[in-house]
Order: sequence, then C-alpha cells, then structure tokens
Amino acid sequence: MNVLREAAVNTLRGSSPYAVDAHGLGVRYSLRFTRKTTVRQSFQHALRRHRGPTEFWALQDVTFRVAQGESLAVIGPNGAGKSTLLQVLAGIIEPSAGTVVIRGKVSSLLTLGAGFDPELTGVDNIVLAGEFMGIDHHEMARRLPGIIEFADIGQFIDAPLRTYSSGMRARLGFSIATAVDPDVLLVDEVLSTGDQVFREKSRRRIEELIAAAKGIVLVTHDMEWVTTFCTRAMLLEKGHTIADGDPAEVVAMHQEHSARSRQEKEAEAARLRLSGVL
Amino acid sequence: MAAVLTEPQAFYGSARPGPLRLVAQGFRDLWSRRRLARYLVQADLTKTGANTLLGNIWWVMDPLLQMAVYVVFVSVILDNKTPDYPLFVFAAILPWKWFSSGINDAILSIVAREQIIKQVAFPKIVLPTAATVGGIVSFLFGMIPLVALILLFYADRMSPTILLIPVVAVVQFFFTLAVAIALSALNVFYRDIGNLARHVLRLWFYLSPALYTEAQVAHLSVNHPELATLYQMNPFAVLFEAYHAVIFYDTMPDWVALGALLAFSLVLLAVCVYIFKRVEPSFAKVL
Repeated sequence: MNVLREAAVNTLRGSSPYAVDAHGLGVRYSLRFTRKTTVRQSFQHALRRHRGPTEFWALQDVTFRVAQGESLAVIGPNGAGKSTLLQVLAGIIEPSAGTVVIRGKVSSLLTLGAGFDPELTGVDNIVLAGEFMGIDHHEMARRLPGIIEFADIGQFIDAPLRTYSSGMRARLGFSIATAVDPDVLLVDEVLSTGDQVFREKSRRRIEELIAAAKGIVLVTHDMEWVTTFCTRAMLLEKGHTIADGDPAEVVAMHQEHSARSRQEKEAEAARLRLSGVL
Repeated sequence: MAAVLTEPQAFYGSARPGPLRLVAQGFRDLWSRRRLARYLVQADLTKTGANTLLGNIWWVMDPLLQMAVYVVFVSVILDNKTPDYPLFVFAAILPWKWFSSGINDAILSIVAREQIIKQVAFPKIVLPTAATVGGIVSFLFGMIPLVALILLFYADRMSPTILLIPVVAVVQFFFTLAVAIALSALNVFYRDIGNLARHVLRLWFYLSPALYTEAQVAHLSVNHPELATLYQMNPFAVLFEAYHAVIFYDTMPDWVALGALLAFSLVLLAVCVYIFKRVEPSFAKVL
C-alpha cells in the first residue's frame, strides 16, 4: 500500500493538478455473501459452489480523470455502476482493482437523510451526522446555526425525528449534506426533495457548491443538469466506460442506447405475449 | 476556483497493509473518533431514558429484580445455604449484565447502521466499541443498589476491597471489547450470530460461578480433573471470583489469574481488531 501510495504521489507531483485520478478501477462483489446471509445459506452455497457465478464485477477497468475546475457527469442506465463509482470515490467501498487518487477534501451528497436516528432530536442528529462525516466538532458547532436555519423546520428541530414529516426529514438531510465546503464534490441525485420553495432554494445551494468546488462528479438521470452544469460526461453501461467526452454528445448517445434497449424490451415483451396467446 | 490543490488527500487501492499495521490502524481509528463513540453512547442513553416510563431508574431496578428471581429460585426453592446469598448473586449479576447487554448491542451495532455505512466513509470499529462502553454506564448505576445493599443489610461485609472493583472492571472491559468487535463484524456476514449468542450467553452464565461458589462444584472435578482445567480457563470464572472476592469475601482477588486474563484479553483484542479491520472494507458491499 505504502509503495503504491508513494508511487501515486510521485507521479502526481510532476503532472498537472487532477482533482480525481482513477485508473483501471474495478469493483468485485462476491455473490457468496449477499444480503442477510445465514449459516444455512452459506452451507448451501458451499455444497453447490461450482454452480453459477460466484462473483460479479459492478465496475471494470474504469479509467478517468477530473481536472481542476472540471465537473464530470456520470450517466447510464440503472445498474450500470454509477452509484458504486461514487461510493468508491467517497472511500466507502475499496476498489478490488486499480487505484484512485483524490486531491483535496472529498464530500459526498448522497441520498438524503440516510442514517438518521428517529429517536434523536434534529439537533442531535445534525451533531451525530457531523461526527460520522468526520467534521471537526468546533467546525460543526460553527455551522450548526446555518444548518438549522437552512432546514427551516422551526420548533421541530428540538423534537425527535420520528415526529417529522418526510418533507421535513428531507430538508434536514439536505441541509446537513450541503453544509460542507469540499474540494471534490460527489453528488448523487438529490434534487427532487421538498416543496416548490425548498426545491428552488436547494437548487441554488447546489449551484453554489458546484461553483465553489474544485472538482465535481455528478450522478444523475436529469439530462438537463448534465448539459447545464457539467463540462464533461461519461457513459457507464454494465460497469464499463462506453463514452467519455462532450456532455451533449454523450447524452445523445445515452438516449439513443436507452431508446434501443427499450425497443428491445418491448419487442421481447410482445413476443412473450404472443407465445402466451398461442 | 483556481486555488492550487495540494497533496493527494485520499488514496484508494486494492493493496492491503500487513497485520500489525492493520491493528495499529484500528486503534488509531478508535482514538481519532473517540468523540463519535462518545456521542453514540450518549444518544443511546438518552433513548433508553426517554422511552420508558421509569426512565433510567430501570438501571437500578433491573439488577435488583434479577437478583430477586435468583434468590427465590436458589435460596427458597432449591434451599441453598450460602450465607448472605443476595449479595453474592448481586456481585455477579452486575458485571454479567454489562457483558451480555454489551455483546448483544454490539452484535447489532453494525447492521443497524447499514444506511450510514453505505453513505459515509467512517471507521466502523467505533460502533461495537460504543456498544461496549455504553454498558459501563448501567454498570456504574448498578453500584448504587450495590452500595445500598451492603450498607443496609450486610454492614459486616463492608470493606475497602470494594474499591478494587474498577481494577477487575478494566480486565472485563478489554475482554468484552474484544468479543464485541469480533462478533459485530461476523454478524454482518451471518445474521444468525444474534440468535446463537443469546443461547451461548445464557449457557455461559450458568457454567460460570455466578450463582454458586467454586467449592460447590469442586466435587465434579474429583473424577474428571480435565473439568477443573476447563473451568479455570473460563474468563468469567476468573472475573466472577474476583468480583466475589472484593465485594463478598472482602479479600484480594487472585492477582495472578487476573493478570493472566488481562494479558489474554489484550492479545485477543489485537486479534479481533485485526479480523475486524480485515473484513471492514466489505461491509458496505455486503450490507
């Protein structure tokens, strides 16, 4: 690890300042341990180990760089590995192959309000979230008033989270997630939360963050965002990079691909219906 | 925008550091995130206090009621003649409650935080540690009825050796922490650990000298000397005897046995931290 790290540092010192440098990235999931395995299932797997694949690559050989000031959109169909890629960049998942070097402080705006504790008050949840994210507690104390103000949920901030409406919960989540000033910002589809007023407010907040960050990786299904905010786009399909380049071109390619796969699916469904009738 | 980016601050690769480095990393994680552990403990305490009618009074009531059950069962029904039996039982119930509730909480500590583990990168080892530390608080609260019991009913058993409880508790802490860390990680992969642990813990309690004295089981090892060896290797035989010594018999604990257990617990802790750090990277994938 150390040798690799030094090598990576050395290559980077001489080169131009990339915010994110991912090389030959691969993420392998072992199918032997999936959700909620029990010992019994594990025995069953052991008995028929040779049957079926035992691993699955969510990402394979993904190489890309995000230069300083660049914002990269990652698009692709469901299950293409977009969220996995963000998890790797955020340090949540270790790559099974390849390396990632990130310069600066990384922060991710992932699904909102995840990990909230329903029994704790809003304030306690903010403080706890700050600790989980590893934000210095003096820093967090400084930001706390701003977070509360932005969430704008009034007296409820001192009530347990289980008394919140889903809209309030989402607002608090958004408020915490965006109270950061990262060098590298990772965004995973956060925009459709709350009422009209809060949506406007949150859109502005994200625009501010995008303007301030030194590098951005954005995962979204909203193609308008890709063409408006991103300087580059990357198309992922089944864990592989299909295209990487000008946002408009990559978006067009993505739309063409998804239209084609939709047609294929419809044709398949029609064929099945037909065979069912016959 | 144009600020110059400095050294790479994050580097992720598939290469794995060696065992010693991993263990050191685990302890560094704990130290650097001690505040997170503290908040988790505090959050847990506010929750248990706020959700029940009697709140934190349960910490005092719980061991007393449990003691009452065993006293009725052993002293009255089985007609056991150990003098001052309530105090004898109470001295073992307190540390056992800490151990068993700590282990049970720790087993769930990681799977219960599934959401945040998939969203934020943080050292997961903090979670089982917070569960173990959380048990200390109820252990401390248990000191209130313990001291009250001695002052009110067993004044002749009052002695300064009771001040040695923290020393025994430190040994227990390291042992508990090691087991908690290992089981919490294992439960991510095998969700039956929780069920299994409940039964193993119950059996373990009855096999340890909590409700009976060592002398009362001595006859078992007359014909089977290997049973005596096995008995002495049980960490809770050492711990319960030490608690009984300082609380009930007013003597010094068996320092050699306690020292050996401490050494064993520290080695076990290092091994368990290693196991934990080794499998930690796959938590976000498996959960």
